Amino acid sequence: MNFRPLLPLAASALLLTAASAQPAAAPPPATQPIDVASGAWEGIVNIDVSVLFPDYREPWNAGQPSGGSGTGFLIGKNRFLTNAHVVSNATRILIRTTNDPEPHPAKIVHIAHDCDLALIEAEDGSHFERLKPLDFGGTPQLNTEVIAIGYPIGGDRISVTRGVVSRIDFRPYSHTSVDSHLAIQVDAAINPGNSGGPVMQEGKVVGVAFQGFSGRVAQNVGYMIPVPVIKRFLKDIEDGRYDHYVDLAASDFPIENPAQAKALGLNGGGVGVMVGDVEPQGSVADVLKIGDVILSIDDNPVYNNGLVRYEGELVDMNEIVERKFAGDKIKLAYQRDGKKAEATVTLKRFDPYVRLGAQYNQRPRYIVHAGLVFQPLDRNLMDAHQMRDSTVNYVFDNFLTDKLYVERPEPVVLTTVLPDEVNTWLTPYAHSIVDEINGVKIKTLKDVQTALEKKDKPFIEILLLEKNRPLVLKRELVEAAHKRIMQTYNIQEDAYLGDE
Amino acid sequence: MKLSQTLLFLALGTASLPAQTPASESAPKKRVAAAAQEESVPQQVVQSRSLVKVNATSQSYNLHLPWQKESPSGRRGLGVVLAGNRVLVTGQMAADATYIELELPEKGQKIPAKVVAVDYEANLALLESPPSDKQKAFFAGLKPMAVDTSARIGDSVAILQTGRVGELIKSPLTIGKVLTRRYNVEGSGFLVYEANGIIRSEANSFTLPVVKGEKLAGLLLSYDSKNQVTTILPAPIIEHFLKDVADGNYEGFPSLGMELQLTQDEQFRDYLGLKPDEPGVLITAVMKGGSADKAGMKKGDILTAIDGFSIDSRGDYKDPQYGALSSSHLVRGRAYVGDKVDIKVIREGKEVVLKGELTRRKPDDYLVLPYLFDKGPRYVLMGGLLFQELSHPYLDAFGDERRGGAILRLARIAAHPDKFEEEGRKKLVFLSLVLPTPSAQGYDKLGGQVVTKVNGKAISDLNDLAEAFKSAKETVHVIELDEFPHILYLDTFNAERDNMRLLGGAYRIGSLKRLE
Repeated sequence: MNFRPLLPLAASALLLTAASAQPAAAPPPATQPIDVASGAWEGIVNIDVSVLFPDYREPWNAGQPSGGSGTGFLIGKNRFLTNAHVVSNATRILIRTTNDPEPHPAKIVHIAHDCDLALIEAEDGSHFERLKPLDFGGTPQLNTEVIAIGYPIGGDRISVTRGVVSRIDFRPYSHTSVDSHLAIQVDAAINPGNSGGPVMQEGKVVGVAFQGFSGRVAQNVGYMIPVPVIKRFLKDIEDGRYDHYVDLAASDFPIENPAQAKALGLNGGGVGVMVGDVEPQGSVADVLKIGDVILSIDDNPVYNNGLVRYEGELVDMNEIVERKFAGDKIKLAYQRDGKKAEATVTLKRFDPYVRLGAQYNQRPRYIVHAGLVFQPLDRNLMDAHQMRDSTVNYVFDNFLTDKLYVERPEPVVLTTVLPDEVNTWLTPYAHSIVDEINGVKIKTLKDVQTALEKKDKPFIEILLLEKNRPLVLKRELVEAAHKRIMQTYNIQEDAYLGDE
Repeated sequence: MKLSQTLLFLALGTASLPAQTPASESAPKKRVAAAAQEESVPQQVVQSRSLVKVNATSQSYNLHLPWQKESPSGRRGLGVVLAGNRVLVTGQMAADATYIELELPEKGQKIPAKVVAVDYEANLALLESPPSDKQKAFFAGLKPMAVDTSARIGDSVAILQTGRVGELIKSPLTIGKVLTRRYNVEGSGFLVYEANGIIRSEANSFTLPVVKGEKLAGLLLSYDSKNQVTTILPAPIIEHFLKDVADGNYEGFPSLGMELQLTQDEQFRDYLGLKPDEPGVLITAVMKGGSADKAGMKKGDILTAIDGFSIDSRGDYKDPQYGALSSSHLVRGRAYVGDKVDIKVIREGKEVVLKGELTRRKPDDYLVLPYLFDKGPRYVLMGGLLFQELSHPYLDAFGDERRGGAILRLARIAAHPDKFEEEGRKKLVFLSLVLPTPSAQGYDKLGGQVVTKVNGKAISDLNDLAEAFKSAKETVHVIELDEFPHILYLDTFNAERDNMRLLGGAYRIGSLKRLE
């Protein structure tokens, strides 16, 4: 895909060269000169971040320190909006305004990785009291002019680029790599460092610049998070907590085939989409079945391709769910075996989904025992360990499609065997899914701890998924070996199971 | 895919063979001698009277569009003349062959040949030319070569090749190891000689004989020019094949049908209750219907001996000829289908003797076909939906990069077929492709889903599927899949109409199914 967030560190060189290679387009006619000293844009600030990338290979280590910078803007009293990816894994956040060289330490108030937004505040807000917060506009029309303001690469001072709204569509948000929401495409140059900055029209914020394409893939394509997504985030956190997006957790399959329409009892009209899959732990698990036809959602008719007409636009029916919050209700009309039915569903977050996306601001969880390192399976782990084992890849890739999360909500992987006399025959078994330890079925990392505490037998017995041999360790050898290994490999703590 | 291995190795050899080869080191002396005689008598080139060139044209079926064949390609090899005017080559030469001919290395005379017997697992084929005057004349000057199974580690052997005018080119090799290894299709290991030495590169070839003295010691399997390591399909396997062919009823090489785990890990031995020097390996899987299963072997048994040979913690036995060798050779190489076998196991601390008869698991006995040659893949086409049975060649045809999503899922089933076999499936039927027809409208992005039921009937192979399509309720076929979107509907009338349009249409489909 080559679709990447505008993380300054990883992408800057690539994007910088790509940008300079573009032919210099004639600038659009200047409209209104802006006097930066006037203070109109002083609420648009530079955010300088020190980050620590967690180490999923040596989870007991601190990780890799690094840094980056992005943009944010004042939306209320000491409240700055920016992208989640700008402040993810941050150990220090500094805010700078364009007319004041003083750095102001700041902290995260709320962060929403699923829609790549974060709210931060300065530790001492008094510096920003005289600044005017920016106002939000609505969703801009296609082919209308917008400007992107921020602190992208190429200089230290504030920068403005101009373009038009090119497209409004559902897009993947690359920060987590699994979430998709409404996004607006603009042809204003959006470069590394623009992330988190406002995109404005007629003096009002119409979006937050957040991602683009590498110049090698597409030209003049930048994306901003539109106001409906921002408003939803701000409303979600009103109760002091971010509850995440909610999902129907069902997949729809278009009804384009005449035999299919007939078999499902539809008589033309183009209304109704087939339910192709239902997640047994999702919001509609007890309501919908495979082969049902969804006719309407909150009284909006659903067309045969899964679209609804909403606020004048044809959008995916999930857009209606997108605007809702955890605990909200949604009305579904559906048809089963030719009979119409209605149901009201309480929406909730679908947790198994989260594991498939990148996660941030988390200390890696692990257990080390006699040199055997156990870690929960998620995208961060897959990426860090470059897993090639076919079983591990199968479980990760089909976690949802084959409903593997039902049996094993948090698959545990034996990721590493730190070589020692006690485990020297077990080293080939690294990168295996742990099925059972000492007779305890391993459904989460916590189960590993529980299982290892069972000491009724002279052997620790570990069964791996689809590996034909149990791993056994003599308990009388394990204790001394464990201490020795911890010391040799410089491991301070033998487990981190999360802050619970 | 795998067939090209030998070819590839030899081709690599061409590029990287050093100029100075052992053969040319000894050459100067002879040249001096030859030069003195040159004026009186022309140099006598050594000819082989037991080798013939074999030219085969092969054409495999397209695995993704199974009604179609791929473009034909040629393969060359050097066959060994055996008693009865038969010619031995590797199985690769016979695979998907459309035309095979024999050629005399010196004179270039050619006659067509056909395959008498072929074993793709053992990678051996026997060719013959129908009797005729031409055939008689062809073989008149040829002399059968005897098979010699006596080669051991340290013995000198030579790879034979022929030059432009049929002159014999010998590359001497020394056997360094004897081990078991898979040849070129999925399945368990066969005996292999591994030899060291440089093979001079004459022409790419799928069969090259290896001789010990004047007798046949094996056929070349592969040559790694970088490490100068040659693997050789050895005479004992050739002899086994020839004996099996000779009785007129070819049965192939038997196998036990089980998986074992080594027991060198002391803690694991303790756990299993094995004393430090005790023999034995842990049996971790027993294939249903295999020899081991029929003899009563169970998962969890500790295998200690086969036919009186003790099995050590590496799974090896002491072979009188080769020393430590994988126990699989005891069955695969040394025994025949129908032979009695004695297996000793330890079960719950007690020694148990299992008696059984050796059988062979045929390719068709597998849920996922391990290899497919000479025949087209089975398929059923219905209204543009193409259904196939999962096979290893189908998966291999994708290559590594394209193995995402559906293919990854199917590949995993191929690696762990037990669950599906237990469900009573004979084969795994899946929707492999959707051709754009009006009756399949809306389904064209699908592919890779396993079919569970059609018109309410469970599908255990393509014959079931073809049968189930005959019994639609009302006017709609209902196809149930194991994953999204789970159900497909197909109008019976429109599907038939599309079937007729597909026959001879743009996709050049000659038949709507292949079930033989």
